[in-house]
Amino acid sequence: MATDLRISNISKIYPGCIANDNVSLQFKSGKIYALLGENGAGKSTLVKILSGVISPDNGEVLLNEKNLKLSSPLDAKKNKIGMVFQHFNLFETLSVFENLSIDATEDNKSLRLRINEILKKYNFSIDLDVPVLNLSAGQKQKVEIIRCLLRSPKVLIMDEPTSVLTEQETEELFISLKKFCDEGILIIYITHKLKEVLSLCDEVAVMRKGKVVSVSQTQNERVETLANKMVGQKLAKIKKKINISKNKDEIFKVKHLNFYSDDPFETNLVNLNFSVKKGECLGIAGISGNGQNELFQILSGEIITPDTSIIFRNKEIAKLNPKQRREYLMAFSPEDRISQAAVPELKIYENVALNNFKSSNFFEKGLVNEKKIKEHSKKILSDFSVNTDNVELKSQFLSGGNLQKLILGRELITAPELLICYNPTWGLDVGAINYIHETLIKINDQEKSTILISTDTEELLKLSDRIAVIYKGKLSKIMPSEEVTPEKLGVLMGGGSID
Amino acid sequence: MSLEISFIGILIGSIMASSVPLILAASGELITERSGVLNLGVEGMMIIGAISGFALMVITDNLFIAIVGSMLSGVIISLIFGFLTQSLLTNHVATGLALTIFGIGLSAMLGKNFVGIPGKEFPILFSSLRESIPFFGPILFGHSIILYFAFTLPFLTNYFLKKTKLGLVVRAVGDSPVSASNQGINVILVRYCCILYGGAMCGLAGAYLSLIYTPQWIENMTAGRGWIALALVVFATWSPIKVLIGALIFGGITILQLHMQAIGFRIPVQFLSALPYLMTIIVLVVISRDSRKIKLNTPTSLGRIFYKEK
Repeated sequence: MATDLRISNISKIYPGCIANDNVSLQFKSGKIYALLGENGAGKSTLVKILSGVISPDNGEVLLNEKNLKLSSPLDAKKNKIGMVFQHFNLFETLSVFENLSIDATEDNKSLRLRINEILKKYNFSIDLDVPVLNLSAGQKQKVEIIRCLLRSPKVLIMDEPTSVLTEQETEELFISLKKFCDEGILIIYITHKLKEVLSLCDEVAVMRKGKVVSVSQTQNERVETLANKMVGQKLAKIKKKINISKNKDEIFKVKHLNFYSDDPFETNLVNLNFSVKKGECLGIAGISGNGQNELFQILSGEIITPDTSIIFRNKEIAKLNPKQRREYLMAFSPEDRISQAAVPELKIYENVALNNFKSSNFFEKGLVNEKKIKEHSKKILSDFSVNTDNVELKSQFLSGGNLQKLILGRELITAPELLICYNPTWGLDVGAINYIHETLIKINDQEKSTILISTDTEELLKLSDRIAVIYKGKLSKIMPSEEVTPEKLGVLMGGGSID
Repeated sequence: MSLEISFIGILIGSIMASSVPLILAASGELITERSGVLNLGVEGMMIIGAISGFALMVITDNLFIAIVGSMLSGVIISLIFGFLTQSLLTNHVATGLALTIFGIGLSAMLGKNFVGIPGKEFPILFSSLRESIPFFGPILFGHSIILYFAFTLPFLTNYFLKKTKLGLVVRAVGDSPVSASNQGINVILVRYCCILYGGAMCGLAGAYLSLIYTPQWIENMTAGRGWIALALVVFATWSPIKVLIGALIFGGITILQLHMQAIGFRIPVQFLSALPYLMTIIVLVVISRDSRKIKLNTPTSLGRIFYKEK
């Protein structure tokens, strides 16, 4: 039976922000629909309404002409609306089978049979009896999809599903989604990645600031037209001129980096060796969870490993803590902006003061020189076009993009010789990403070096001079970026080998 | 020879009896914590259970009513905790501490008129077998029904958590309340139930003290057993069977060191008194060395406030 899902005049208002402003859309089965928009455009709110997690202030959802009352996730389930969230809704310490059986109504035996049928039909290979925390992101997503399929859904909503996948996993996902679509499941695909919209979807709705600004057939669209609709203005294209010169000095050199941990949540690192030249950007690609966290923490000095040698500007710094490394003009931008890079409860100027110990005169005789810090913070806010000039604002109220700009600004104002950043544009929208990319390129132009650990292949290809891939704690050989293609990276990131 | 053997049998029997309140309270708290709720009010709920059990026994002269009443009083006082933490979203640690202080104060006030009243004898099962079988008799027979219940409880708890659907739901809620809620599980309801169950078991543990173990009411008679039960849960890494082992070690060394003191061992009394705490921690730490298992058993969301998006 054909499915017809209609959203009419949905509004949702949060204090100080209209998340959804009179949104109306129509979807029919047999097609894959894209819902495109920047972060904060209101996609997630709309999806949460459709899945019953939150209820709208106004408007209704109609499935086959029937008005749905979605006041809890249970209602969405009953009405055969399946949902795969961007942040997985899995229970990490439970086994795959336990995760799937938790809301099943049948007995375990027949459930296992049905799961195995689905595994076979769509060619998924997952061990049902291991705890979910042992799975890769791609496998976790498959568990989520199986959970939806078990309820034979009419509608399947995918919220930014490829943000954690490799190229291969993405392709596999697309094949599965097309299969589901052929079987009559209505698919709504939420993303901010333009290429995916063009390669997968039939129809695209673009959202901006809570409103639907356009609905069109994807065949009539190109990357540029969609980007402009999404951002609402023309975007400047940025392109880095790659500078590899053989005779530049090596500013940073790592030898015999090994790391071993008992913790099942951590990855062991095996004999990593690499170096960075002056003015160069070294990209380290990989799917998250392959040792990037550990690598970043070792490079920044949060973890000290024995027998590792790290030479920076001709000095051995392997035994130094992060504060001491900063004094040698290294700077760090960790992945988790909220809990690692900044303290959300502290004001902007207090966060700025946090990592500037020696080089500044923020502290005198143990006292805080508030005036100095505030002046300095104001300079960062204006130099890095952060969207506020109030240094008294608590950092938790900054959006991801603005917080990242603040963090980069804080790190760069000391003019470091080497900046190590880990997923600097994670979860940011196109505008903010552009700005951060420009900033990172500028650093290299000024003959300073960067190490870019990232899970975003496009970003790596755009910014790096040389690229290596980390897989299960091992580093591939380091390649000049003009020899690297997204496909090659994908193979290496998935554990394959090239040549 | 045979005298010594029967003495050891009696000793083991008394060790078992002394560990009952710990097993009951810790098993209850274990379920509460597995759902992600940290209730530090165990001591308070136990002492309330102790006084209400004893008071009801004196007033009604009916042990059944006393036992059920003590569990109900545990439920009621844990309901206060549940309402504060789950409905009003207060901090688990602060609320739990307040509950303990409140419970100790309230029990002292309620108990004023019951000080010095002798308790009633609690029926014991299979008392004839206890005398007739050497060694095993005093170990296996002649105990109250509560003791038998307490010793099966860790196994039931283990079965409940590992094998039943409801146990799975409790673990899921403790692992990730947000995911559970998105799966349509009523997280608040599950947590309320686990809190109330914990309260009932703590109430029963208290009643065991005032009705069976030392049948009388003395102010502050739980004497820190609630805190030991709490510590047992953590050191046993949320495994019911390890809770049982821990409780037996603690009870065992408590009794043994009393005998050692009585015999007059030339070891400082302070050291002997500290021995049960020390040994329990050491043993539980040693048997819980597998960091992987700890990760899988620890309720990830323990003590964190959960609120539903609207």
